[in-house]
Amino acid sequence: MALADTRTTTDAVRRALTGRRRDLGGRLFESGLLLTLLIALATLIVLLAKIFGQGWSVFAERGTSFLTSPMSQAAGRAGIWQGIVGSLMLMAFVVVIAFPLGVGAAVYLEEYARDTRFTRFVNANIRNLAGVPSIVYGLLGLTIFVELLGFGRSVIAGGVTLAILVLPIVIITTAEALRAVPNSIREAGFGVGATKWEVVRSHVLPYAAPGIFTGTVLSISRALGETAPLLLVGAIQGTFFTGSQSLLERLQGLYTSLPTVIYTWSRQPNPDFQKLTAAAIMVLLVVLLMVNATAILLRNRYERKW
Amino acid sequence: MRKTGRLAAVAAFAALATLGAACSNNNDGSGGSGGSPGVTGTVTISGSSTVQPISSLVAEKFNAANPDVTVSVDGPGTGDGFVLFCQGKTDVNDASRPIADTEAAACEKAGVHYVELKIGLDGITVMTNPANDTVTCLTKADLYALFGPESQGFSTWADANALDETLGGAGSFPDAPLDITAPGEESGTYDAFIELAGITDTATSRGLSETQAASLRPDYQSSPNDNVIIQGIEGSNSSLGFVGFAYADQAGSGVKDVQVDGGSGCVAPSHETIADGSYPLSRSLYIYVNTDKAASNAALKALVDFYMTQDGFGSAGEADYVDLPAEQVSSTQQAWSGAVG
Amino acid sequence: MLGGGGAQAPRPVLTVADLRGTSRRRRKGRLIRGAFLSAAAVSVLISALIVVALVGEAVVFLSKTDLRSLWSDGWFPRRDMFDIRTIFAGTVIVSLIAMLVAAPLGLGAAIYLSEYASQRVRRRLKPALETLAGIPSVVMGFFALTVISPDLIRRLFSGAGIFNMAAAGIGVGILVTPLVASIAEDAMHAVPNSLREASYGLAARRRSTSVRVVVPAAVSGIVAALIVGVSRAIGETMVVAIAAGATGGSLFTLNPLGPGQTMTGAMAALGTGSDRVTGGTAAFNSLFFVGLLLFAMTLGLNVVSERFVRKVRRRY
Repeated sequence: MALADTRTTTDAVRRALTGRRRDLGGRLFESGLLLTLLIALATLIVLLAKIFGQGWSVFAERGTSFLTSPMSQAAGRAGIWQGIVGSLMLMAFVVVIAFPLGVGAAVYLEEYARDTRFTRFVNANIRNLAGVPSIVYGLLGLTIFVELLGFGRSVIAGGVTLAILVLPIVIITTAEALRAVPNSIREAGFGVGATKWEVVRSHVLPYAAPGIFTGTVLSISRALGETAPLLLVGAIQGTFFTGSQSLLERLQGLYTSLPTVIYTWSRQPNPDFQKLTAAAIMVLLVVLLMVNATAILLRNRYERKW
Repeated sequence: MRKTGRLAAVAAFAALATLGAACSNNNDGSGGSGGSPGVTGTVTISGSSTVQPISSLVAEKFNAANPDVTVSVDGPGTGDGFVLFCQGKTDVNDASRPIADTEAAACEKAGVHYVELKIGLDGITVMTNPANDTVTCLTKADLYALFGPESQGFSTWADANALDETLGGAGSFPDAPLDITAPGEESGTYDAFIELAGITDTATSRGLSETQAASLRPDYQSSPNDNVIIQGIEGSNSSLGFVGFAYADQAGSGVKDVQVDGGSGCVAPSHETIADGSYPLSRSLYIYVNTDKAASNAALKALVDFYMTQDGFGSAGEADYVDLPAEQVSSTQQAWSGAVG
Repeated sequence: MLGGGGAQAPRPVLTVADLRGTSRRRRKGRLIRGAFLSAAAVSVLISALIVVALVGEAVVFLSKTDLRSLWSDGWFPRRDMFDIRTIFAGTVIVSLIAMLVAAPLGLGAAIYLSEYASQRVRRRLKPALETLAGIPSVVMGFFALTVISPDLIRRLFSGAGIFNMAAAGIGVGILVTPLVASIAEDAMHAVPNSLREASYGLAARRRSTSVRVVVPAAVSGIVAALIVGVSRAIGETMVVAIAAGATGGSLFTLNPLGPGQTMTGAMAALGTGSDRVTGGTAAFNSLFFVGLLLFAMTLGLNVVSERFVRKVRRRY
């Protein structure tokens, strides 16, 4: 609120001092800037238009069978079911692993840790990890999970690799959410004799929960779109068919993900596969949009304004 | 507190839904109508990217009748497939050339027993861009001059003219950039091309060492992915390359097949000329099956049995390759029944 | 004991020991603290594992190869040609083109959103820009190959191949733009209004104020935005893998209109290709060597960007 007031004052001051004389250079400059913004947005629109334009015919012809068919050499039969299931399984791993670890680490760094060199080192380390290219995480997954720990080219290896990839993001967003909780809340808890953990659990975390949740959902949407690490860790790029398997077998078995399917199909010369790729991208973008919209909606609903 | 509770409930529900999706025996095939119910097991097929579409189709049909079997089909390349096969890591190796002596020795050393089954015919199509009007037919001498080990550094078609004339060719290539996109060493198509186009023979007769004679010029855009090669050919007006016949056939109007003259006139690649052997760059496609594993793995045996049926052999044609002629089909079937009993 | 004897109960005294709570409670608190500490320690463990994994295999690679092959005609790992210059040049070209796209678009958008846009416009356009950041790189790679390359690059430059580094570079640039815009805009937004008002007080126009007052004041954040953008561009894999073409290997080339191999593209090709199988050559281990180089580069850029922000930060 205060900022808006100052901006109005600034505008008023500016207008009073510069008067209404025409400022062609300034206008051009402003238009130029607006143009850059619009170019960036225009590419987004062109991208969406092209994808939906190409992919729509697949849904028009085949309806939901595209979603429920497995991969196939024949373009007329191929579908993304295995990609969808694979992505869901991977996301389950990401949530189960990255969420507790990430929130726990952030709680430690924000609530418990004193400002020592070690703490600063850990913080810097996390920021570095957030900037490491995703393919390097694929290398890590390959060496440690596929080879060393012997998980092989399984969903487990892929899921853990993705979880590690998004862990720094979860930590950083959770830390931000925790920082946003005013100290008065904590002091109120300490004031009635609560221990640190009790304060965190009953006062800080509930108030930071929307922000934490948003951060986790955003990291899920990031993990959904990742391809490079999964390619290294063993997501299948060809075709495969799985018989009936128990859950444990399924987790240890072959898998693929929706972005991997998109990558595989994009490299087929058969022009029919181009349409399939576009249709698969449509599905991925719609899912991502829904995930992100959920995050934003929930954040807006539960957000508290201090 | 209540809000966290609600969020936690939502998260838990989402997790359960995911587990439900993973658990559900979803339709990975169109139901188990007919076929042998109760066949279970895992089959791993790897090897040639050329043969992969055929094996993939067979696996798909097999899975439709036997939904309880897990099959994976991969295509890293014939040579690499053999390495995996002779380490016992795969059950079937797709191959676009016969097994090499060194590979056979490796298999024997590792105690892997196999049977060679011919399952289809293929041609190697030499391609260029439709905009390249002057090049319509190439002789083996031409191919050597453009692709061979002595052609390193030739950046235009015309650079190869001198070498071409020495070998008895016309030496009339245009002065246009020579953009080659072709398979690399891991591909069986690479090896097959070298042999069928006579690169090795020409090179050794010109005094090159054995290792040098068994390879093409190293300075071209190589890709293990036949699809990427097609896109490379489409992308340049004076491009040159070669792929398996099925990929070229499927590529449509973006590429132009070049006729090949093996000494008896220019022949264009087609299903007919490959089947009757008149196209000089024709070859057989094989699968190699680990017989020890076939004895113990019911799913593997069932899959190969299916491969040996009319439907299985017909997959070659369906994948745009050339079906094996009838006599060769029966000799393959006999080889299989002899190996497994 | 206070007071006299008889019927009166002793007055309770509150000591520190009472306030500290029972030992069970304290122990539980310590346990929980330990649990959170180990969660934080996992992040350190991950970094250590990355370094160990990369360095270990990279050393194997260097020991297996003839170091002269690191300076050959091209990057063909299958043929024992590991010319680092080739893939490094590819990375530089793609990143350069990406920043040529992302820097003007990102900074321009940032200045506009921060200095010119009304609250209403800002509220509409900022989420749209962030949506651009959410596009997966596979999708952008497909877009680069099927739209940017034929409709833009090949129309402008008729000699360009269908796979070219320019299309990949533009695709990466589009992905990086929202990142640059967001960090730069935050930095500019944080500049106190008093500076702007002082500038208007001297009768400066909005354009001069933006360019000559706000931007220099936010320069540390802007530079950080650009460095983060470069770091992201260097690490981008899928756009290059799909659109820049050179999967098996590439000759040394500086031509952005043709195919080329970046460090990340080389890693993707090695990791998904069949080199892992043929154990004889060092081709597969080169994957880790390149990964180590990449990791070192992004780490270095990150450290520089943080140092820069700290050093140049002006105090108001």
